[in-house]
Amino acid sequence: MKKLYQLKLIALAISTTFITACGDAETNIVEQDPIVVEDEHDHDDDDDHDHDDGYTISSLGRLAVLAGDSNEASFFDLDDNALLDTFVLNDESNTLSASPDFRYAVITNRTQDYLGFIDGGMWREDHGEHLHDYEQGPAFSSYELTSGSRPTHLMTHDGQLAIFYDGDADSGAPASVEVLTDSDITNATPTLPGISYDINMHGVAEPRGEHLLSTIRRDDADNTSVAKVLPDQVGVYHFHDGEYELEQTLEVTCPDLHGAAQNHDYVVFGCGDGVLIAHQQGDVYEAQKVANIEAVGTERIGTLYGHENSDTIFGVAAGHDGSGSVLLSIHPENAEMEEVEWQLADGASAVSYSFSASGEHFLVLDSLGFLNVLTGHDHDGEMHWELAGQVDITEQDVSTMPEGMSFSMTVAQNGEFAYVADPIAQHVVQVHLEDLEVEGELELTFPPAGLTWLGIAEVEDDHDH
Amino acid sequence: MKPRSQLAVLIAALLPASVLASTIEGVVLNNQGKIVTNATIEVEGSDLKVTTDENGKFVIAELNNGLKELHVVAPGYAHLHRDITITNDENQSVTFNLKRSPIEVIDIEATPIHMSAMESASPVSVLSGEQLRRQQAATLGDSLEKLPGVNTNFHGKVASTPIIRGLSGPRVLITQNGLDVSDVSRVGPDHSVASEASTAQQIEVLRGPATLFYGSGAIGGVVNVVDSRVPTDSTTRGEWNVEHNSVDNQKVASFNATTGTDSVAFYADAFWREADDYEVPVAADIDSDDESHSGNYTVENSNEESDGFTVGASYLMDNGFIGLAVEQFNRQYGIPGHTHSDEEESVFADLEQTKVQLLGEYNLDNKWLNKVNLRVGHTDYEHAEIEGGAVGTTFKNETNELRIDLLHNQFNEWNGGISFHYKQSDVEAQGEEAFTPPSETESFAVALMEERHFGDFLVQVGGRIERVTIDAGDVLLPNIDAHAHDEAEEADEHDHDHEESAEITRVFDVEHEFTPISLSAGVVWDFTPNYNLGLSVSRSERAPSASELLSFGPHIGTGTYEVGALFDLDEDGHLGLSDQAIDLETANNIDLTLRKTQGDVGFILNAFYNQVDNYYYQIDTGLFAESGHDHGDEEEGADEHDHSSELPVYLFKTDDVILHGFEAQIAWQLTDEFKVDLFSDYVRARLKDGGDLPRTPPLRFGSELSYQTDKLSAHIHVTRYQKQDRTAPQETATDGYTLVDASISYDLSVLNQDMSVYLRGSNLTDTEARVHSSFVKDIAPRPGRSFALGIRGYF
Repeated sequence: MKKLYQLKLIALAISTTFITACGDAETNIVEQDPIVVEDEHDHDDDDDHDHDDGYTISSLGRLAVLAGDSNEASFFDLDDNALLDTFVLNDESNTLSASPDFRYAVITNRTQDYLGFIDGGMWREDHGEHLHDYEQGPAFSSYELTSGSRPTHLMTHDGQLAIFYDGDADSGAPASVEVLTDSDITNATPTLPGISYDINMHGVAEPRGEHLLSTIRRDDADNTSVAKVLPDQVGVYHFHDGEYELEQTLEVTCPDLHGAAQNHDYVVFGCGDGVLIAHQQGDVYEAQKVANIEAVGTERIGTLYGHENSDTIFGVAAGHDGSGSVLLSIHPENAEMEEVEWQLADGASAVSYSFSASGEHFLVLDSLGFLNVLTGHDHDGEMHWELAGQVDITEQDVSTMPEGMSFSMTVAQNGEFAYVADPIAQHVVQVHLEDLEVEGELELTFPPAGLTWLGIAEVEDDHDH
Repeated sequence: MKPRSQLAVLIAALLPASVLASTIEGVVLNNQGKIVTNATIEVEGSDLKVTTDENGKFVIAELNNGLKELHVVAPGYAHLHRDITITNDENQSVTFNLKRSPIEVIDIEATPIHMSAMESASPVSVLSGEQLRRQQAATLGDSLEKLPGVNTNFHGKVASTPIIRGLSGPRVLITQNGLDVSDVSRVGPDHSVASEASTAQQIEVLRGPATLFYGSGAIGGVVNVVDSRVPTDSTTRGEWNVEHNSVDNQKVASFNATTGTDSVAFYADAFWREADDYEVPVAADIDSDDESHSGNYTVENSNEESDGFTVGASYLMDNGFIGLAVEQFNRQYGIPGHTHSDEEESVFADLEQTKVQLLGEYNLDNKWLNKVNLRVGHTDYEHAEIEGGAVGTTFKNETNELRIDLLHNQFNEWNGGISFHYKQSDVEAQGEEAFTPPSETESFAVALMEERHFGDFLVQVGGRIERVTIDAGDVLLPNIDAHAHDEAEEADEHDHDHEESAEITRVFDVEHEFTPISLSAGVVWDFTPNYNLGLSVSRSERAPSASELLSFGPHIGTGTYEVGALFDLDEDGHLGLSDQAIDLETANNIDLTLRKTQGDVGFILNAFYNQVDNYYYQIDTGLFAESGHDHGDEEEGADEHDHSSELPVYLFKTDDVILHGFEAQIAWQLTDEFKVDLFSDYVRARLKDGGDLPRTPPLRFGSELSYQTDKLSAHIHVTRYQKQDRTAPQETATDGYTLVDASISYDLSVLNQDMSVYLRGSNLTDTEARVHSSFVKDIAPRPGRSFALGIRGYF
């Protein structure tokens, strides 16, 4: 039986070889509910960016506030000033900052070699067809960074955060850099790309897409710095195959390098004898030194502030005690430095500096409780910064400031607001930077030591209509 | 040499001429009357197999009465086929005379019926041994490109896939030990094949339709990479290799080893390779007018780094084996030309695959069945395309596969069996380049293959029926503003029409069900001594792949906006659902082969004619769509509305296509030491109604002069690629070029270990060679002159 069957099958196989149409194909298509996305282009210049398309959220954002009298961080909803949650931190003497995309609060403890992250609960994802916003309760992330020694300067730029670990001469721990993004925190990336040095230094690193400009400390014999723990060179590291490789060392030295900032085209470093300007030309950086002007006096520029969209980089020249500081504006394009016309009043010292979210304002918060708002004006192609106004942010007697505390500030990334924390009055005020007025108040039950804004940053329109 | 032969010898030696069963004993000689050692004698339709001893003698015991078909195989000789009838439990004594074959004849492992370059009705090639080691490259296509009928789609050395007779992509199946390699190399030319040649034992190529054995994906052919990850014996042996290559500073190290006890065998292999951007003789970009030639040109972003290891173990039984192997494969490579803007933003791929294979073979003592082959595979594949440190797109493929071959006892002189095959794969892509929606493809097939000798004729026939389902619950049809560039003004008007502010993306749940059927019949006729003539006729059907049907989005690897066959353009130029029925692709193929199988001159001449109805291919719609690939580019360039972020829209359509061509291979053993090999191949791929298909390899001919003694072997290889000017619309012609390669290797014995030191030069004339079948031919020519120095050891 089997034999017969098999032969038949083979015969059938051969005969059908030449007959067409034996296969079969069937397709079923069921249409589902469509995805509707509102046009995201903004065609007028009003500040009204609220298109309710079901995916994006309109919110003022959130505030993380560090307590000055306990090791706690509290999270507030800025739409209704409600306390969302409070977290107890591992150690005291923390500093607080925001992750590069403002989703996470970054808790840094230099002495404990620790960085921790608390999810602010608001973030945006690009789903291709639409932007999708998420709003959840704040939560402590299990992700932490503990492998580097003495995390000190944290620099963010365009979605990246570079953590500079100074290392420790006493224990022989070398300096290192790690670069992370918000998604590294979300995904708990086990190994971050970065740089490992073989010596400790008090340095700084600026992340710039696939580039990372970071300081280099040479052998003490070659190092032109007076304080040998300070580096005097800058290296350009290129991200390639999952790691950063040193591709260029800027030929201009920068003795006693401290402080760095960047804008769209330039990265500026503070040196003992001026500022080092690195100009990006594709994968290569051109270096140039702008010497200190007279106004710097016997001090040096050790702190710098930049904004992606601002041609001006601000430098602060001050002694180690912060007294007698001079504010300078640096124009990397023209390789110029000049003293800003406005300077702090006698008796006032600066406690915080910041650009506003748009880069149109530069804010100087002083110890007397004034928020000084500077704006830039174009005079014959040159930017001059003038005082637009002062906002008195406290009614308290500033001499009653608790020991070791000060005012502090953060700026919102979705509008022209600054939030200033007042440890005497135990509250946070919301300042509108265009109107130069206090527009809101958030009551606290503790003296604030620091604060940072978290939420969904407003992106600049890529399309120019 | 078949590994289990030792076991068979052992069995044969232990059993003296039995009283109940018959014995065949004999000697194998060459045509000069000298003995041939290590020749294998197989009894077809059974698992009996013995090898000759140092006197050229063999004994096959335990035979029952009836007709026995013996198959005698020895390296360097033509295979010999001999029928012996045993009656009355008597012992027979025979002498086999083997004749030299200058073309190496190696049997294919992955088909249940007997196939080799010299003996089967349909054409096959096998790359193994020294030849494989000489030709192995970082990518599969480049490793195989010297085989007749096989070309590479050379993607800047970092990725390549074999093109068989002008067909590639979803029409050529890549398998590892007979199981789908399960990567995403079938959907993008810049996606690397997740298989490694340096640890492989042999690579088999089935040219022409092989759907019979492998199903839908094999309508154009199959490449099967064979290694002994699941060992079939426990003889301790191994191989190691280190090499350095000058053109890209490539460093390679690899090893494989097998060992074990009587009943358990272990296998391990590992490889590591690192290469920098490779050097080219001219500026990489064909349009470059760079006069300031300062130093070497390289193809930027063509570096690569990969490593992998496999461990396997099997349990050896008297009647077979069963074993399991696990492989981890990692690869990081730059994708040349995968840039998204004028500012060079290099993209690299990070590929990771875990593969588990369970293989087994059991010889039954059953009235009907004599052997069961089992293959089970699970593969977890993922590759991420990373730009500027961030993951752009992630591709995933998770595949489960099961194959069972049941081989029956010789039945009225027919050998063969039935095969059951199940495969299920989940493919998804996430991110900016997720041009294909997630889909699940499932197939189940039953196939029958049989062969029988009728005097001077060998008849091979087979049939296969398959059921393929493709389910995708989330097929998106966005309302893209595809527009022609010469209607710029009209398009501008549209741009400023702000009344319609909502963008609607239609969503579909799509279910396809296909029932492809494949049939094939072939005859090999030994019409006169030393020659044979083969004819193979087949009709094969293929279910289109998910990417050919469901795609909708930018594919940066090909620089196109891909739209699947499920969609079509309406009269107004808008993309909507197609009203065309989705149908199977059908190939009707005729293959004619003439061979001279033995003597000092041997040749294989193939001619083929393949008519493919409903051939799925992409046509240029002439429209452009936004790539949607926005890098948040700062201000600059945002206001000048340039077209650089737009991609041409290519739509999958079907048409009838004819492919025809030939492959020729001639080998001439001049003396015992010198041998000349000549080859040529050609394919013409055209639409039935006129027009050519893109990226068809040009006419090619080549020659190889070899010198071989006990210790020394040297080869000079010259290949001429002709100009290709039969091009598709929008495609440019490519100039011809001649490649000259040479290699020399010397065997020595150090510390009782066999080693061989070799030096290999490629592209010795440092010529500019652009590969017509490459998607990146205009920006990535072949590497310039290169010297590789290496050492290989065996134990």
